[in-house]
Amino acid sequence: MGCCYSGEDNNSGEKSSETDPLIPPPNPTSKPPNGTDWITTNVPSARTDEQALLNSIITKTAQNIIDVSAADSVVMEQHEYMDKARQYSTKLAVLSTNLHQKKALTLPSLTSQPHQVLASDLVPYSDVQQVSKIAAYACSAISQIKVDAKEELVVQFAIP
Amino acid sequence: MTTAALTAGLDRIPDQLGYLVISEDGVLASAGELENDEHTAGVIMQMVRTACRFRLSGSAEAPFKRMSVILDDFVYVATISGQKVFVVKRQNNQHQAVCA
Repeated sequence: MGCCYSGEDNNSGEKSSETDPLIPPPNPTSKPPNGTDWITTNVPSARTDEQALLNSIITKTAQNIIDVSAADSVVMEQHEYMDKARQYSTKLAVLSTNLHQKKALTLPSLTSQPHQVLASDLVPYSDVQQVSKIAAYACSAISQIKVDAKEELVVQFAIP
Repeated sequence: MTTAALTAGLDRIPDQLGYLVISEDGVLASAGELENDEHTAGVIMQMVRTACRFRLSGSAEAPFKRMSVILDDFVYVATISGQKVFVVKRQNNQHQAVCA
């Protein structure tokens, strides 16, 4: 009453969703977590319930925490390390070439007869004039956009 | 495709003053007033890339076949074929109609 786990009953089902780890540990009974003194076993001691509860807290915390600062957390042989490095760089290379390919393919092919297209008649002067006129109208219209302020933006609340 | 095959038809274009053939990596061929003109090549490439991004409503493909940059005395016309940009500088003969 009034402290953590005071109401916990290992047999109750409703609390299990709160205490289950988000990512199920790969092998809960595997090697002891780094950086902690692991003296007791997983089986709660019959001596006191308090001891058992404390142990279960330690177990759960240790399962949920990844200690990256612990010493000799990575014991890998040289060839394993090189293999992994090679794996990662291959994966990166594949991803970066995919990205680069996407960028290079963004030039669409407009025609299969470039010489013909470039040799055909130039745009008629009347068309150019018309487009220039339309663009000038559009430019002038945009420059005339303005805010029509109808009301005050900031008002005082009337507090009697 | 050899450079000669790329450029064969370009110098036969009527009233052409020069041309460029540009790829993603750089200028493949150049001649006439555009010979070695990497600056113009860069500018035209950027304009072409920008134009390719336009889309008319309801269409998935690029909305143009040829891009013309019209100046007073001459015109740059550009198109894309087989991942290469072809640019030709031509005389601008489309002048104002003279009222008799």
